[in-house]
Amino acid sequence: MTMRADEGTLSPEEAIRLISAVAKGRDRAAFAALFGFYAPRLKAFMMRSGMTASAAEDVAQETMLLVWKKASYFDPRRAGVSTWIFTIARNVRIDRLRRESRPATVARAFDPSDEVDGPVSGEAAVMTAEREERVRSAIALLSSEQAQILRLSFFGDKPQSEIAGELGIPLGTVKSRVRLALGRLRLILDDLK
Amino acid sequence: MMKHHPSDETLFRFASGSLESGPRIVVAVHVGGCTACAARISEFEAVGGALLNGIEPEEMGEDALDRLMARIEVDSDSGGEAAQRSRPTRADVGIRLPEALDGCGIGPWRWIGPGVRWSRVTIPEDASANVMLLKVAAGRRLPEHTHSGCEYTQVLKGSFYDARGRYGPGDLDEADDEIQHQPVVDETGECICLAALEGRMRLRGFFGRLVQPFIGG
Ligand SMILES: [Zn+2]
Repeated sequence: MTMRADEGTLSPEEAIRLISAVAKGRDRAAFAALFGFYAPRLKAFMMRSGMTASAAEDVAQETMLLVWKKASYFDPRRAGVSTWIFTIARNVRIDRLRRESRPATVARAFDPSDEVDGPVSGEAAVMTAEREERVRSAIALLSSEQAQILRLSFFGDKPQSEIAGELGIPLGTVKSRVRLALGRLRLILDDLK
Repeated sequence: MMKHHPSDETLFRFASGSLESGPRIVVAVHVGGCTACAARISEFEAVGGALLNGIEPEEMGEDALDRLMARIEVDSDSGGEAAQRSRPTRADVGIRLPEALDGCGIGPWRWIGPGVRWSRVTIPEDASANVMLLKVAAGRRLPEHTHSGCEYTQVLKGSFYDARGRYGPGDLDEADDEIQHQPVVDETGECICLAALEGRMRLRGFFGRLVQPFIGG
């Protein structure tokens, strides 16, 4: 079965429904739908962070394999589906970079996505959905310049010196702009609470 | 009462995955005991989720899904790979270590100066990370020092103070290369910290000068 890469949107609720179908029923059609939406975006995300197209595709594949395996660990009280998948991809990428820098490494022991949180209340799922909504609104409220600098620093390891080159501004300016953008993000996020 | 937390930039780098493994584990220990920072990281991770969601997609290879489904078949046949790793060696350092260090190797205390001992912390997946436990006796003044990269110090027991304030259990001290500090451990008892330096390059800062003779390089 094939999926068009640029296909549409996926609502947070629909994504949760698909993940539970994978977790409970090992539902392959649901998984294919998740793959159709997320794999091309994971690939794009990794390419933005400086990976070649083929390495980025590998990370996307590896991440989706883990989504299949770990679906039952997904907990809507802790994060939305996109956020959860992002953290898996982030960890796959960290592992990969480590392996590249030192070939004989053993597998990871510390996986933040496996971290056990404290007890979660009944409202936690609602609060999580609200948090994700709040973050989306906050990003939209940043100036386009601030959103850009956050995006650039988020897509990974790109050293700040490289970001400086890309934006044509001095390194010190990048540091202070990142600081300012995060300060503003914090203000907006706290304001929206 | 916790007073000192990682900066937003550090939490952001933790969430985005660009914080090196040494500092990463020190921050993980802090976050394990600090709900405020844990919430901040969740928000920053949600930024990652939102960016992932909104990115312009890149077409995957034509048979990508089929290949993945084939791997899933193989995996469920073999029952997955539950490779057991040998547990790292852990010396008893006299305190209960935080959960975030569970997978790490812990070396025995070694003397490095009057009233100062250190223990090497090894992260299994990144043996080159510069992480250590540091134990300093009550009232000890540490030599003034600067460092080349950022230094992350999480207090596990006791407290120290310098010109910027007092650091007690649960506090994380994030000192960049511009800070000159001369921490003094409080008279009330010894202080045990978990510390990491940024950078894989040769150690040059305070810990570097102390520890370099022991780890070579
Ligand atoms: Zn904190």
